[in-house]
Amino acid sequence: MKITLTVNGEKREVEVKPQTRLLDLLREDLGLTGTKEGCGKGECGACTVIMNNKLVASCLVLAVQADQSEILTIEGLNCQDELHPIQNAFINKGAVQCGFCIPGMIMSSKQLLDENINPTEAEIKRGLSGNICRCTGYVKIIDAVKEAAHKMRSRGEDDV
Amino acid sequence: MSKRYVGKDMLKVDAESKVTGRAQYPSDLKFDNCLHVKIKRATYPHAILKDLDINRAKNIDGVVDIITAKDYPNLNKFGLIIKDQDVLIKMGEKMKFMGDALAIIIAETEEIALKARDKIGVEIKKLEVITDPLRAIEKDAPPIHEDLSGLCTDYLKPNLNQKNILVDHYLKKGDVKKGFTEADLIVENEYRTQHIDQLPLQNESGYALYDDKKDEIKIWAASQWLHDTQADVAQSINMSKEKIRIIQTAIGGAFGKKEDVSVHIHLALAALHTQRPVKLEYTREESMIAQSKRHPLIIKAKTGVSSNGYLTAWSVEVIGDTGAYASSGPAVVHKGMYHCTGPYNVENIEGTSYAIYTNNTYGGAMRGFGTTQMAFAYESQMDILAHKLNIDPAQFRYQNAYITGSVTPNGQKLGKSVNTKRTIESVIDLAKWEGEINK
Amino acid sequence: MRKKGRGMATIMFGFGYGEGFPDHSIAEIEITTDQKIKLRTAGADVGQGFLTTMIQIAAEVLKIDSSYIEIVGQDTHQAKNSGSTSATRQTFFSGNAVREAAEEVMGMIYHHGSIYFNSNHPELTVKDGEIYACDNKEEKISYWELAEIVKQKGDNLQAEASFFPKTYVPDEKTGQSEKNYVAYTFMTQVIDIEVDTDTGIIEVMNVYTALDVGKAINPQNVHGQIEGGTVQGLGMALMEEQVIKNGITINPDMTNYLVPSIQDIPEFESTLIENEDSDGPFGAKGIGEPTLIAACPAVANAVYDAIGVRITSLPITPEIILNSLEENNN
Repeated sequence: MKITLTVNGEKREVEVKPQTRLLDLLREDLGLTGTKEGCGKGECGACTVIMNNKLVASCLVLAVQADQSEILTIEGLNCQDELHPIQNAFINKGAVQCGFCIPGMIMSSKQLLDENINPTEAEIKRGLSGNICRCTGYVKIIDAVKEAAHKMRSRGEDDV
Repeated sequence: MSKRYVGKDMLKVDAESKVTGRAQYPSDLKFDNCLHVKIKRATYPHAILKDLDINRAKNIDGVVDIITAKDYPNLNKFGLIIKDQDVLIKMGEKMKFMGDALAIIIAETEEIALKARDKIGVEIKKLEVITDPLRAIEKDAPPIHEDLSGLCTDYLKPNLNQKNILVDHYLKKGDVKKGFTEADLIVENEYRTQHIDQLPLQNESGYALYDDKKDEIKIWAASQWLHDTQADVAQSINMSKEKIRIIQTAIGGAFGKKEDVSVHIHLALAALHTQRPVKLEYTREESMIAQSKRHPLIIKAKTGVSSNGYLTAWSVEVIGDTGAYASSGPAVVHKGMYHCTGPYNVENIEGTSYAIYTNNTYGGAMRGFGTTQMAFAYESQMDILAHKLNIDPAQFRYQNAYITGSVTPNGQKLGKSVNTKRTIESVIDLAKWEGEINK
Repeated sequence: MRKKGRGMATIMFGFGYGEGFPDHSIAEIEITTDQKIKLRTAGADVGQGFLTTMIQIAAEVLKIDSSYIEIVGQDTHQAKNSGSTSATRQTFFSGNAVREAAEEVMGMIYHHGSIYFNSNHPELTVKDGEIYACDNKEEKISYWELAEIVKQKGDNLQAEASFFPKTYVPDEKTGQSEKNYVAYTFMTQVIDIEVDTDTGIIEVMNVYTALDVGKAINPQNVHGQIEGGTVQGLGMALMEEQVIKNGITINPDMTNYLVPSIQDIPEFESTLIENEDSDGPFGAKGIGEPTLIAACPAVANAVYDAIGVRITSLPITPEIILNSLEENNN
């Protein structure tokens, strides 16, 4: 069956099978391999994307459920050459080790900061609690989210 | 002298590719005309393979072929240190743990490969499943491997079942009897650690391609040691090393789990067999069952100390569950034993360690490599002794700690860079530890 | 009731394969005529920052901006053996190989530079990828120009080095070996916990670490290892266990095999001890594995401090805490 959805701002029409997962649609059909699969059961958060302004584990969403939806993946975060402040903060704070959890981690951070530009540490932990990282011990990931929030706040002030 | 790069927080060179999703992990590659591979694995942890019926599976539309041991009768066993692991279990031979491979299914799609995998019929004769290493070393326990590992020493106690012992090691320094006689206090405990999965976030995954012009198999898969994986693949399928080319991808975590061969040999065979690009990716479940674990150790530690708080003797017996195959097992368990006293001066030491085959998922490398388990034992012993002696645990550690010139349980004299005491001094400042160190 | 406890652990780790096992790493450095420095290594970067560390070492020795350095050879057919990324060995082994290869190339720069300037070696200054005749800063030549000149002579500004230190096989009967491991890393940690005596749940509050690193080539990445390694150790201490019953794994998924989440992590404070006193590059020692090792005993010792119960098996789950408390009460 054919579905229509907007991925990273671009309208896409894709032929999918009933059992195709959103994760497969993104990775296989659209070639957006930035979204990762770590467990296939919605436990690790590596496949996290933003669907209609909400976080979803794309391994638990069927492609047909994404019909008419708006999807944001890691590939849609940076505009052309400029990295998103969250991406910059993850690099600067040394929050990236093997990197396999990072796209999901960054999508969760984006959703968190879209909803709350000045989160406390407890709120950051809650916001990222669905994303498992085995390398970093999370410390520098929290630092990165704090720095990104700070940068995004001051950028917001500049705009005003 | 101040340096420009060394000692500076240079940002990681690969971080930008990882935060943008551009980094290519094995499963992110794409090949046209690619086939999908799945592995049919053991149906029982210890059993003789009596029959393998692949006909129904083979007839499914989209199944390209199913490889069993019959198709490649000359495959050699593989393994990191000794070669004791089968690429495919032969008819009439034994599956030794749930990860053993029985057949390689190659199909046009992953879905078809999975469907075919479930249609393979397996007939077995069940054997006693040995999950406790203490059972494995009993004389009447059935041997898990037909052949002896070849690694056991002449010093192995005759009352143990040598067939299930991968390797034994010994440590003797000073006079441990005398040391315990001199002790005013002796503490003896048994410590047990568990099976741990390294759990790198990316499961084992890769692609392979046979280049007929060069007669070369190219494999794209993560490895902690490219050239070792290359050698193991080459010898197992009887090709020259130069014909096996492994190309590193971004690695989605390792922690020891990506030292062993995983997808590599099966991919190489599938590529050779079909002459098309092939992909194999484990599920999390498959990864946990089929790939290495941290060795569970049973550690009996006995420590003697004088009333003024100086260690006089230390003995350990270490029993390591190495599971169905050797992997890093010949190196892990005794590395733990070699670290039995931690960083403390002890003149009189005795130790014995065994790595023992069972039908559990095999033990391999994981961060700490035996010494993690052993530290749980020796640092618990130190703490118990400090409390019994009523000495500050920091002081007790400090007064026994290695300095330059100290000698390890192996008899290695430490000539330089022995900063044990500095680490204790620094941490008690940092943590505002109650009580002072008597230097 | 929540009870506080504090535990200490001091550990050591002999790194490299040791025990007489042949252990070496090969690296190659080449200055090209098209403004690149190729650093060839087969060593695997598993996320810890191995490749970044190698670039830092090469840039330091070669006195040039690190952006010129490009990693090549992540392929069995493009590079020689670098050994495994395991045994806490890459900074020490490949780091030394890279340092040596870079020093070889530096020697060639001085050799060919001195011919170009018709000077002796001390009269040359090498800085930022350029070679000056000492008394005349106007007169200079870039590495790339020198590479071109050398190429025309039929040579290359290229060198390969192998770092291959010796260890000895321990005696079979006694384990005695004059040099069993190339070097040892030490670390002490203090861990603060709170035990909920009603639920048995342990919360890890603070981790204080002093790590004998020799020299931190990249301090941020060393802290990354301390934090990541310790949290893996806390997982082993408190929650992780693959349960294999009669050969069958009961919990082969991340729903039932729990690893620490972001909600489980403590505050970290760490000190790096940098005596620059080891045989590694710039005095550095390996730290990858050591950072994990102290967590289990430090937590067990903290549990004893908190509730007076000695736990001798891992993981220390709430169930074990509650059972132990009950046993103690009886």
